[in-house]
Amino acid sequence: MKVTPRTLEESQEAEARELLERRAARLREQGESAVEEAVHWIAEFPLGEERYALSLESLRAALPLKMVSAVPLSAPHVVGVLRFQGQVLAALSLASLLGGHGWRQDPAVLLVVDRGDGELCALDCEAIPRPTTLPVSAVEAARVRAEGAVMEVFTQDRQLIHLIDLKRLFSATRGAGARHAR
Amino acid sequence: MPVDPMLQGLVAGFAVEAQEVVQKVTMDLLELEREGLETDALTKLYVRLGRHLHTLKGSAASLGMQDLSDIAHKLEDALAPLKSNPQKMPRPVVDVLLHGLDLFLLRAQAHADGRGDALPDPAAALAQLVADAPPPEEAAAMGASGVAAVSAPVAAPAPEPVSVPDAMPESSDAGWRVSAWQVTALMREVERLREVRLRVEERGRELERAAQLLAKQGLLAETAEARTALSGTARSLRTDGEETSDIVDALEEGLKAITTRPVRTILDPLQRMVRDLSRQLGKEARLSVVGAEVSLDRRLLEKLQGALVHLLRNAVDHGLELPADRERAGKHHEGALTLRVEQQGNLLYLEASDDGAGIDVETVRRLAEQRGVVTAEETARFNENQLRDLIFRPGFSTRTDVTDTSGRGVGLDAVRASVEGLQGRIEVASTPGQGTRFMLTLPTDLGSSPVLVVRVLEQLVGLPMLAVEATQLARAESLRLGKRRAHLEYQGQLVSVVDLGARLGLRALAPPAEGQPLLIVQSGGKRVALVVDAVVGDRDLVIRPLPSEVRDVPAWQGAATLSRGELLLICRPDWLVTETVQVQVTAQRRALVVDDSLTARALHRAMLEAGGFTVHLAASGARALDRLATDTYDVVICDLDMEEMDGIQLIAKLRERPETASLPVILVSAHDSSVARERGLRAGADGYLSKRECAAGRLLAEVLDVMSRRGSRA
Repeated sequence: MKVTPRTLEESQEAEARELLERRAARLREQGESAVEEAVHWIAEFPLGEERYALSLESLRAALPLKMVSAVPLSAPHVVGVLRFQGQVLAALSLASLLGGHGWRQDPAVLLVVDRGDGELCALDCEAIPRPTTLPVSAVEAARVRAEGAVMEVFTQDRQLIHLIDLKRLFSATRGAGARHAR
Repeated sequence: MPVDPMLQGLVAGFAVEAQEVVQKVTMDLLELEREGLETDALTKLYVRLGRHLHTLKGSAASLGMQDLSDIAHKLEDALAPLKSNPQKMPRPVVDVLLHGLDLFLLRAQAHADGRGDALPDPAAALAQLVADAPPPEEAAAMGASGVAAVSAPVAAPAPEPVSVPDAMPESSDAGWRVSAWQVTALMREVERLREVRLRVEERGRELERAAQLLAKQGLLAETAEARTALSGTARSLRTDGEETSDIVDALEEGLKAITTRPVRTILDPLQRMVRDLSRQLGKEARLSVVGAEVSLDRRLLEKLQGALVHLLRNAVDHGLELPADRERAGKHHEGALTLRVEQQGNLLYLEASDDGAGIDVETVRRLAEQRGVVTAEETARFNENQLRDLIFRPGFSTRTDVTDTSGRGVGLDAVRASVEGLQGRIEVASTPGQGTRFMLTLPTDLGSSPVLVVRVLEQLVGLPMLAVEATQLARAESLRLGKRRAHLEYQGQLVSVVDLGARLGLRALAPPAEGQPLLIVQSGGKRVALVVDAVVGDRDLVIRPLPSEVRDVPAWQGAATLSRGELLLICRPDWLVTETVQVQVTAQRRALVVDDSLTARALHRAMLEAGGFTVHLAASGARALDRLATDTYDVVICDLDMEEMDGIQLIAKLRERPETASLPVILVSAHDSSVARERGLRAGADGYLSKRECAAGRLLAEVLDVMSRRGSRA
């Protein structure tokens, strides 16, 4: 016997339950058919001619690049300062930090990231990054090989991604922060 | 000795009360040790001391803590011979009394914690106390002669600073128990309200401007009603803004009352520590405090206490000389330590100074090299301030042996770490033979600071109002222009003229133009006349600390949020009045980067500076023309696609002017087509780079190439 829902809320609730059940069934099928490999979630974006990424767990927010106040006499990689959730953060030029020379387009986005020491900062970027995954095994192998803050990781389709280790990047730049008054 | 379980509940309260009484007794003892007190003052102190000790004895006995009562009794005994003939208290007696008080407090706390059963028999400690005390007649004689006739016992090791409990334990009707995060959240809301008030003020100004614009249209009769309505709303908004301001102030006062306590509450243990340590080292020291009444966040005070202990211990151990050495140097035998506390807005200034020997920079250099803190090559490049700052490096110590006090190379680096952990900064100044000053600047959560907002080119800059003595307009008759610098005649004195734009590296140095605003800025007894392009107005702002990436830039104190949410950098007045080293700029090539993208400007600047250029920036074509009218450049790097005036239009303007007709210009564009390239070169550009080419590292090479081609053509 089919029971007709009596109210709108009950009808919506029933639809939601059905949807969730369908999703659960789909996930169960995937689990049975595919052998899953452990993956590392990353936020991928273009920098100049290359593809770069940072660990998704370090990304706190992506903001439009505005309301940044320049800081005269600061280090060359400092674009300025901005306010984020009541805090004053530094906006840094990622290209400059990585020893790059520029972007293909003027950056329009700021990525608020955890530097690895609990402090936040913002990095400029051409576009909002794309969330994607890398096999953990490839990331670990690249980490062993890498000497600096950038690890070269190949995706399954042989694409090269430069994965940035923020902790290493900022420990390398620490101490080179200030340029003294001229 | 166990306490009656029935009375145990009262013992905790007694321990708290005892701490307070012991602190008072300690301060009285330190006072009695001083020379030069009048007999009346001495009598009062002895009476008060006796009363306090008696209170301790009576209260302890009434709660059944006989051990504590016995200790207090012995202390009364030690005091008795001096009470009858009030005079300066001999140091051995003070030592015994302080030692006894430490013992008393330790045992009181143990009783309060329910550990009374485990306490050792007090007999031995009491016997030691009696043995240490000079015989009554000797104590009186010592007091009369004013000299310590017997060898002073070694002072007992100073206990860890005793923290004063915030309040009596809460009972259900005493109030509310709130957590720190709840109060912090309230503080954030107050800060937001302060920003809302700024926005309300801004809206009021906008309404007034709108009413004025309508009046300028000339249709006075037709717009009368609208103007009246606008003016009325502006007035109401002003009143609302004032009321909001009052509410913000009241909320802040309320929060302050909850979250702060006077600095003096952490001073008593410091006084005691200075006294004990100087005794231990055979020195004489007196700690004076200015600003003890300033109330600070309790958490900040607790965190600062450790840093202050370090600084004062350091001052006694390393700074102050032995009494005989001081007298030989023409100083008073007693060293002066001063702790100065001042809060301006939401910034706390704390200064710990001594009048000792000062820091010997050469010794610091030698020891830092010996201990491997730095290499000789590094120190060869350091100036005097950088050498002095080596004392903050981990592993640095001037002690050649490890003592109880120092020598382990752990100290000032820990102080700096704790100050930086509070988002503050620490600096040191020292004069050989005269002493050393440590200056701490720390942000606090509450309070706002009056700030004068000025503009230099496109950059808004805030100046703490307290540093601005006067404002005036530049007049040729009051300026004295020299070859290298200008001076202003101000109140019968010649004051150096400092161009804020040049000082911030935004433009080349030039004397002030007629009518340009000049601000008389003072700091630490020095004054300069600061040249700015415009005075925007004064604001009441919350100054926040800068992030670590820019915290070490000496020009900036912090940043404050303006009404539209943008940040305003606040300049440090002491940096403005400091003489700068004359940099050889003649040999450096100069580039002007014109781009409406902040990040592109920053990136081009970084690359050109790495190539040895002095770089100035402009955010638009119009700004670039202004800059080129007053400064000279070797090359201009210009974005092709800018609003209002694009790169092609800017080149056309430059080529019209004889002085810039042959100035090398490189266009930079996101367009990478041959059509765009040809269009740019046809317009008069000397070079054209796509952003893709810039990304590939071509900018510097192109700049050098273009300059060389222009040079050979010339």
